Amino acid sequence: MTDAVTQTAEAAARLGPLPRLRSSVSRFGIFMLLPALVLLGGAISSTFLSAGNISNLLLQLAPLGIVAIGQAFVMIVRGLDLSVASTMATAAVIATGFSGSNRDVAMITVVVLATSVAVGLLNGVLVAKRQVSPFLATLATMILLQGFRFAYTQGAPSGNVPPLFRVLGSEKFYGIPYDFAILLVLAVIFWIVLHRSAFGRRVFIVGGNPVTGRMLGIRTDVITIACYLISSCLAGAAGLILSGYVGLVDNWVGQGYELDSIVACVIGGVSLKGGRGSIPGALAGAAIIMVAANEVLLFGLPIQIQIIIKGVVIVLAAALYAR
Amino acid sequence: MTGSLAAVRWFRAHDSLVGVTLLIAAVCILGAGTADRFFSFNNMVNVYEQSTDLALVSIGQTLAILTGGIDLSVGSLISLTSCLTSGLIDGDPSRVAPVLVAVLALGVLIGLVNAALVIGLRVHPLIVTLGMSAILQGVTLFYAMGPVGKVPRDFSFLAYGRVGGFPLGATIAVMLCIIVALLLRYLPLGRQIYAVGDDDNAARLAGLPRSRVLMLVYGCSGFCCAATGLYLAARFGSGQPYTGVNYTLASITPVILGGTVLRGGRGGVVGTLLGAFLISLVNNLLNFMDVSKQYQLVAQALIIILAVSVYMHRREPT
Repeated sequence: MTDAVTQTAEAAARLGPLPRLRSSVSRFGIFMLLPALVLLGGAISSTFLSAGNISNLLLQLAPLGIVAIGQAFVMIVRGLDLSVASTMATAAVIATGFSGSNRDVAMITVVVLATSVAVGLLNGVLVAKRQVSPFLATLATMILLQGFRFAYTQGAPSGNVPPLFRVLGSEKFYGIPYDFAILLVLAVIFWIVLHRSAFGRRVFIVGGNPVTGRMLGIRTDVITIACYLISSCLAGAAGLILSGYVGLVDNWVGQGYELDSIVACVIGGVSLKGGRGSIPGALAGAAIIMVAANEVLLFGLPIQIQIIIKGVVIVLAAALYAR
Repeated sequence: MTGSLAAVRWFRAHDSLVGVTLLIAAVCILGAGTADRFFSFNNMVNVYEQSTDLALVSIGQTLAILTGGIDLSVGSLISLTSCLTSGLIDGDPSRVAPVLVAVLALGVLIGLVNAALVIGLRVHPLIVTLGMSAILQGVTLFYAMGPVGKVPRDFSFLAYGRVGGFPLGATIAVMLCIIVALLLRYLPLGRQIYAVGDDDNAARLAGLPRSRVLMLVYGCSGFCCAATGLYLAARFGSGQPYTGVNYTLASITPVILGGTVLRGGRGGVVGTLLGAFLISLVNNLLNFMDVSKQYQLVAQALIIILAVSVYMHRREPT
């Protein structure tokens, strides 16, 4: 760890002042941008920093944060998971596919888990064993799931979300949303998995240089498949939570999360070329997207501005990390 | 002997074209066995007509993918241009010509901005065009929140007109494809697209004008999107702010089916055109077989998985 830091510092010293600035900005900029956005929000709108608004923000942040964690794993092994939104929607449809009472929670969880594992395996095997480009493999599973979902619901899903998911997705415990607590637990677990375990180290090696990985005796295919599994399972969980937040179901629960989660990762310093990234970065990226969206609404700006700002932030953030 | 060798070599060089042609033939045989009317001239012209929009977008997308990039802004650009077309014309036949030119120019301009950002910021095209897509969608929603304007009857000729029995829009797409194919083959800048896609670094070291190649590629893609926007405005009679959403990802499928490799450097637009035709053909066949829309999606996904995993396996893993 310290080696990496000194190496970066040496590299920065060689580069001179401007690239050095660029390098430190790209290392820590994300963690400065978030407080800056929060302060800006507090300065302009008095409601922004109110306990109610913050707690709502955390509530809305959780699903995106959970998906972004999985997306970070996939992106670090040089992948991309476009199927997460479709997995989320499928999980939501499954959640309402039973009687809608708490009796079925276990059953729903099992079915969602099985679906997510199947999706992750399909993605992972296509990418790792058949050398299909991740973009295409996950695009195909996305369409595949969408087709199955439409066929199952006949285009008009109905039914109720079990109360337990309603509680997890939309209620708070003394101001702290349950889903945010889930996000925190998952973030800690996967932070340990990615940054403090042998598996995580292998993930970075495979993403940084697969050939080296193979020469070191790492089963690169197994690592890659595992990352896709993590992503799809987290997407399934996020889908259940989001269905609890929305409370009703349609075929498009979670639409846009595939791109938003990629954007969150890119803003958070996860490299599209693989091998670099972190869980805190991805989460900070997700938080920035949510805070920016929230501020646009609070400042009374038109909704279109929100989309435009997102576009500008994507490009600028990526430009910071470009070398 | 040399003749057969040349044929073998030709097949090797165009194996992806052969693949997509065989798939089309297989679907045709399957279709002829399913329904009498499937393989009729009229139905084939229908299939040809229905592939127009996908063919138009995918031609530009092919170029972007050939350089190893991708253009994810196509969907929003199509929405924007189709809204602008019907909104600005607004039923007035005298405005058709200037709006047509302006919309196509806007498409090219936005493509050039994409390229400039890719070059100037050194950011991956995936991210640049994704950002551009959000920006354009926002702008489109500023212009119109719902269906906007209308096009005169004459303008609809672009989508529904037939010239000598053949649909006009589709024929324009085919001609555009032929022009682009010739440019790729005979224009130095066209050949350099392959060089940049094959090995960006080597191309740069060899002194190839990478910036100009990217400008050409994304400019072309923008032009194709604007053309698609015009076509959709003509077909639906008015532009809608979300018309293009599905084209972003849909435009990639024909490119891949046509044998262009996502990593860049290999493929071509003729394959893409055949790929678009194949998708239209499969959808048509599924309609004949009374397969519901939902399973058409499943079928499309399975074709993608099948096609890419077969193509990929033939090349040695890196």
